[in-house]
Amino acid sequence: MNNLVIAPFALPLATALLCLFAGRVAVWRRWVVGTSAFVQLLVAVVLVFQVVGQTPLVVVMGGWTAPLGVALVVDGLAGLMLCLSALVAFVCILFSYLELQVEDEQPMRLPLMQLLGAGINLTFITGDLFNLFVAFEIMLVASYALLTLEANDRHIKEAFPYLTVNMFASSIFLMTAGLAYAVFGTLNLAQISERAAAMEGEFSVLLVMLLLMVVFGIKAGVFPLYYWLPNSYPILPYSLAALYCGMLTKVGVYVLLRMLCTVFPHSLERVHIVLALLAGATMVMAALGAISRNFIRGILSFQHVSQIGYMILAIGLFTPMAITACVFYVIHHIIVKSSLFLMGGIAYFRSGTDYLERMGGLWKISPLLGCLFLLQAFSLSGIPPLSGFWGKYIVISESLDKGYFWLASAALLASLLTMVSMMKIWLKAYWSKAHEEQGPTVSPNAIRGMTLIAAVMVFFSLCIGLNAEFFLNIAQTAANGLMDQSIYRESVLQTLGKGGNP
Amino acid sequence: MTKHTDSILLKSLIQLVLLMVNILSVYVLFRGHQLPGGGFIAGLMTGISFILLGLAKGWEALGKNLPVDPMRLATTGVALALGSGLLPLLVGGEFLTQYNWHWEHFPMLGELHLGTPLLFDTGVFLLVSGMTVKLVTVLVRSSSGLAPFTAEEERYYASILEEPIEDKARRREESDGL
Repeated sequence: MNNLVIAPFALPLATALLCLFAGRVAVWRRWVVGTSAFVQLLVAVVLVFQVVGQTPLVVVMGGWTAPLGVALVVDGLAGLMLCLSALVAFVCILFSYLELQVEDEQPMRLPLMQLLGAGINLTFITGDLFNLFVAFEIMLVASYALLTLEANDRHIKEAFPYLTVNMFASSIFLMTAGLAYAVFGTLNLAQISERAAAMEGEFSVLLVMLLLMVVFGIKAGVFPLYYWLPNSYPILPYSLAALYCGMLTKVGVYVLLRMLCTVFPHSLERVHIVLALLAGATMVMAALGAISRNFIRGILSFQHVSQIGYMILAIGLFTPMAITACVFYVIHHIIVKSSLFLMGGIAYFRSGTDYLERMGGLWKISPLLGCLFLLQAFSLSGIPPLSGFWGKYIVISESLDKGYFWLASAALLASLLTMVSMMKIWLKAYWSKAHEEQGPTVSPNAIRGMTLIAAVMVFFSLCIGLNAEFFLNIAQTAANGLMDQSIYRESVLQTLGKGGNP
Repeated sequence: MTKHTDSILLKSLIQLVLLMVNILSVYVLFRGHQLPGGGFIAGLMTGISFILLGLAKGWEALGKNLPVDPMRLATTGVALALGSGLLPLLVGGEFLTQYNWHWEHFPMLGELHLGTPLLFDTGVFLLVSGMTVKLVTVLVRSSSGLAPFTAEEERYYASILEEPIEDKARRREESDGL
C-alpha cells in the first residue's frame, strides 16, 4: 500500500477546486497553482524512482477486492509518463504566466488546466477499463472547455470537429468496455490479461482489441480520422497548445502501448500490421499537410500528427526493440514538441503575428532564439546526434529487419518532409527581411523569461540526445515491464485477490 | 426580458411542488446507500425543482431567490466528495475507504445506519443539483436575449478581454468604413 499513488490525481483536482472557490483572477492564485504544479513534479519524480526497474505500485481504491475494486497501478511506463506530464504542465503554466497579465487572464483557465492534468494523470495510473473511460472523459471535458474558452467567433467552429470526433470515439469506447465485460467478465486490466491469455486465438478477443484500436487511434490522431487535430490545435493560445501537443495525443499512444503489450496476447498480428500500415500513411499525409500550411501553429500541429505516426509504427512493428524505441520516442517527442510550440509562441509575441508572410528578421533580433529553434527543428527531423535521431533510427532499422521496405521509406520520406516544413518556418520567420509595421506585443522582460523557459526545455532535449544510452536504458526497462505481462498481472492480482470466474 | 408562463395554476402550485419534490429528494438521497436512489438522482430532482421555479417565476427572480451561487454549491460538492475520499488516508486506510456505524436503538430515531459514503453522496448531490441549475440558467438566459452571465458573475467566469460579439462586429464595420 502506497498512498502516494493517489497524489497525481488528487493534487491537481484539489488545486482546481481551490481556484474555483477563489473565483476571480489574482496574483496569489498564480502562486498557488505554480507551487502545486511544482509539488506534482516532485511527487512524479519520487514515483519514478520507486517504480523504474522494480515491481509496480498497486493501490486498490476503498480496499474493495476483485470485480468490485478499482486498482490504481503505477509501473515503469506510467511513472515516466506521470513525470513528463508534470514537467510539461509546470513549464506551460509558467509560460502562460508570462503570456498574459494577471488581469487579462481568463478566470477559468488555471482551474481547467489543473482538471486536464488530473484527467491525464488518472489515465496513466488506472488499472481498470471503465475507470480509464472516466479518466478520458475528465480529460476531454476539460479540453473541450479550454479549447473554446478563449477562442474568437471565427475560431470556435474549428472546435466542433474536435468535439464530434472525440464524442464519437468516446461512445465507441463505452460500448467496447461493455463488450469487454461481456467477453471477459471483468474490467480489471490484470484480470482481462489473464483471461485473454486463456482465450488466445478466439475471435472475440480480436474484436475487442480492434475496437479499442479504433478508439485510441482516433484519440491519438492516426491517419483516416486525424483531421480534427491539425485544425483545432492552432486556435489554442501557445502555452495551452504546447500542453495539448505534449500530452493529449500521447495519452492515446500510451493506452495503445498498455493494451497491446500488457493486456492483450502478443499474437494479435493482424492488429499490429493494420497499425503499422496506418502509421505509414499518417506520417506521409500529415507531413505533406505541414508543408501546405502558412502559419507556425498550423505547421507544428500537422508535424505533430506526422510524429505520432512514428510512435504508432513502432508499436505496429511490435518487437521488443521497437517498443523500447516507442517509449524513447515518446519521451523525446513530449519535450521537443512542446518546446517548439513555446518557441513559436516567442516568435509570435516578438513579431505580433504568426503568419509567415508577415514575419521576418527574427535571426537579427534574437540569434539565441534562432539557435534554439534550429536545434529543436533538427532534433524533430532526426539529425544525429540530437534526440530525434535515435528513436527514428531504431524504428527504421526494425522495419527493415521485418522486411517492411515501404514503411521504412515512408518514415524516411516523412522525416525529409518534416525538415522541409521546418525550413519553411526558418526561411520566412528567421532568415528573411523584417517587416516594418510589426513589433513585440509583450514586455521585453516577459520575452526574456519565455526564452529562458524554452532554453531549459532545449537543454533537456539535448541531454536526451547526447545521453541517449541512459535514456534508452530507462526506456528498455519500462518496455520490458510492459512486454512481460506476468509482472503487471501478478503485482495487481496479489493486491486484489483472485476474482470470481465469469 | 425573459418570457415566462402566465399560468395561474403553475404559479400557485409551484411552492407546494417545490417543497414536495425536495422532501422526496432528501429521502432518496438518504436511502441511496443501501437501496435504489442516491446522490445523483436526488441532485437531479432538486435541480429540476428549481428549474420549475424558474419557469414559473421567471429566471431573473430565480437568480435573486437562490440562497447560494449554484456554481459554488457544485464546487463545494466536489470538494466534499474528494475530502471524504482523502480522509481515510489520515487514519491509515486506502483512498475512498468507507466506514459505517450502526445503532440498533438510537435515541429518538430508533435503528440508525450512518457511514462516510453518505458524505460522498451528499457531495454528488450538491454537484449535480448545482450544475443542473447553472447549466439550464445559462442556456435559457443566452437563448432568450439576456447576457449568459450577470454582471456579478462576469468577474468569475469571463475575461475582461472578452466583449459581446455585437460590439466587436460594430467596431469592425466602423474600421472598414474609414
